Order: sequence, then C-alpha cells, then structure tokens
Amino acid sequence: MAKPFHELCERLLQAGVAPRYVRRYLAELSDHLADLQTEEIRAGRSTADAESASLVRLGSMDDLAKAMIEQRQLQSWCARAPWAVFSLAPAMGLAAAWAIALFILWSGWQIFLPEAATPFGAGHFRLFDLANIYFQFGKAIYFFAPVLIGWGIWILAIRQRTKTWWPTLGMLLLALAASSGHVSATRTAVRGGFPHVRMGLTLDLIQEGPSGFLHMIVVFSVAALPYVAWRVYQAYWQTT
Amino acid sequence: MKVRGTNPNFMNGVPELLILQLLQQEEMYGYEIVQAIRERTDAAIAIGEGVVYPVLHGLEQDGALRSRRKTVNGRSRIYYSVTAAGSRRLAHLSQTWKNLTTAIQTVLTGGQRGKAIS
Repeated sequence: MAKPFHELCERLLQAGVAPRYVRRYLAELSDHLADLQTEEIRAGRSTADAESASLVRLGSMDDLAKAMIEQRQLQSWCARAPWAVFSLAPAMGLAAAWAIALFILWSGWQIFLPEAATPFGAGHFRLFDLANIYFQFGKAIYFFAPVLIGWGIWILAIRQRTKTWWPTLGMLLLALAASSGHVSATRTAVRGGFPHVRMGLTLDLIQEGPSGFLHMIVVFSVAALPYVAWRVYQAYWQTT
Repeated sequence: MKVRGTNPNFMNGVPELLILQLLQQEEMYGYEIVQAIRERTDAAIAIGEGVVYPVLHGLEQDGALRSRRKTVNGRSRIYYSVTAAGSRRLAHLSQTWKNLTTAIQTVLTGGQRGKAIS
C-alpha cells in the first residue's frame, strides 16, 4: 500500500470506519489514481508531474479521511457499540460454547456411562476410545473457549485499531468467568435415575485460592498473545 | 464532498443529487462519475475526486445504489447503479432542490415570499 494510503487507512480505522469499507475505499482510490495518472500522461505531462498532479486532483488526505468519517452509517459495530462487541458478545459466545460442552458431557454420560453415578469417571477409557474422544472434545471446548473467544476479541480490536481498554475490559470479564465456572453432575436417587448436569459461577477467588487467580491470569495472558505479537510487529515495522 | 472554489455551505446534498441523477441514466464507476460531473457542469463544480467514493458507499449502504464488479479492458471496476429506493430519493431531492432554487431566485429578484420549502 502506498504511504499516503497507509496513513489514510490508519486514520479511518482509528475513527471507527468498518475495515471492509476502508479496504474498498482504498482499492477504489488506487484505481482512480491510476486513471488520473493515465489521463495526465496522455495530456503530455511527465510521469513525475502526472503523479503529483493526480494526487492533488484526488484530494488531500484530510479531505479524503473527513469525507469517509462523516458517513456515519459506514462505522463498524466496534465503534458504534464497543460495550456490546467486547463485553456482551464474548459473554454470549462463552455461554454458547459452555452450553455445547455441557451437552457433550450430559449426552456422553447417557451414552457411554449409563450406569455410572457421575460422568467424571471417564478416565478408565483407552486413549482412542470413541467415548474418550467424545468426552475430551467436550472438555477441550470448555477450557479453550475463553482463550479462543479472547483471541477473537483482540483480533477484532487490532483490525479496528480500538483503544486498548475496551478489549482489556472484555478480556478481564471473560477471564474472570473462565476462572469461576464450575460444573457439577448428579443423578436422581432412583435406579437408572435421570442425569443432571449443572453449571455455576463462583466469583470467590479467595475461597478458590491461588489456583483460581492463576487460572484467570493464564487465560488473560494466553488470550492477549495475538495483541502482544501485533504490538511487537508494529514497533518493529515503525523502526525499520 | 468538498467543492473547491464554491462556498461549501451551499453544497449540502448537491453531490448526492448529481450522483443519483447521473446514475439514473446509466451505470458508472467512480472515475466516470467525476468526469461526467466535470463535463456536464463545465467544471463549475470541481471536486477533490476521491471524496466521491464515501458518498457512493453511503448511498449504497442506505439502499439507494447497488454495485457490481465488472472487468473492463483487463481492469476490475466497481460499477454503481440506482435502485428503486434511489429513484424515489432522487425525485424527492430534485423537488426539494427546485423549491429551494425558486425560493432563492424569488428573494434575489425582490419578489413576494414563496411557499415553504419542504
């Protein structure tokens, strides 16, 4: 991307214009600039003169940025409702992922351990048993969902150049939820009784001890890796 | 859309009106639209050419325009055309513009007070 367009791109993203509109705008500007240069060269200008005249005709960076930013309907949801994108949506995503994980636990209990009092005794299965794969898949969803959703939060924030505190807040809430969730399973007290799987959030980090706090720190740190990598890349790119 | 050499206070909604009018006649891409505005206004309206695109994107987002990608002479272009909603919007804008110019003309020529502008 040419340098003036790179600057324009950063300004538009920081102002909250949706990335898809920014990409399209820059593509159309590049095409328009090429058309202008062709026209100027045909009119008898040298290549260098044609380039500078074309840039003038295209408009100043301030005008180009202002015109796009004024179109409020082109703003992204990250700019319009950051609380929803970085807090509400991840919470709903985590709830959905955990619901799937609990369903896998409950259905696996029904299918593979119909007589067992609890589904947590699945450890005696062999590694490649279907039952083991089924339960481990559910477990993976349960434990990795906060990290995957966290990566989503940070990648969105990077794409939209969102100020750091919104994704940080969303990620803190997500890490807190991840560290405080606990699952319990009971079967009704009759022979072959119906299995129940429940989930609760215990926000008592003191009672949970350092392990709860550590869990929270680990989820937050691992989820923040893409953002840290991007900041390092940005710093490197700016110095070279 | 900034208009050079013209008081921008008088230009509110004008680019939108011109673009809709041009695209009502035929589909065009951005560069063609700017050239058409320049030619048909005898360069009286000289614009920073790049700023036509935010207007196009805004109108498309509002449902007044539709776009399609077309390859012409080996280059991919985004062509815009007017939708039914865009035609209605053009009719409304044109009427508002006529009322406005009539009212201003009346004032400039020292005539009687005209009807209210919608």
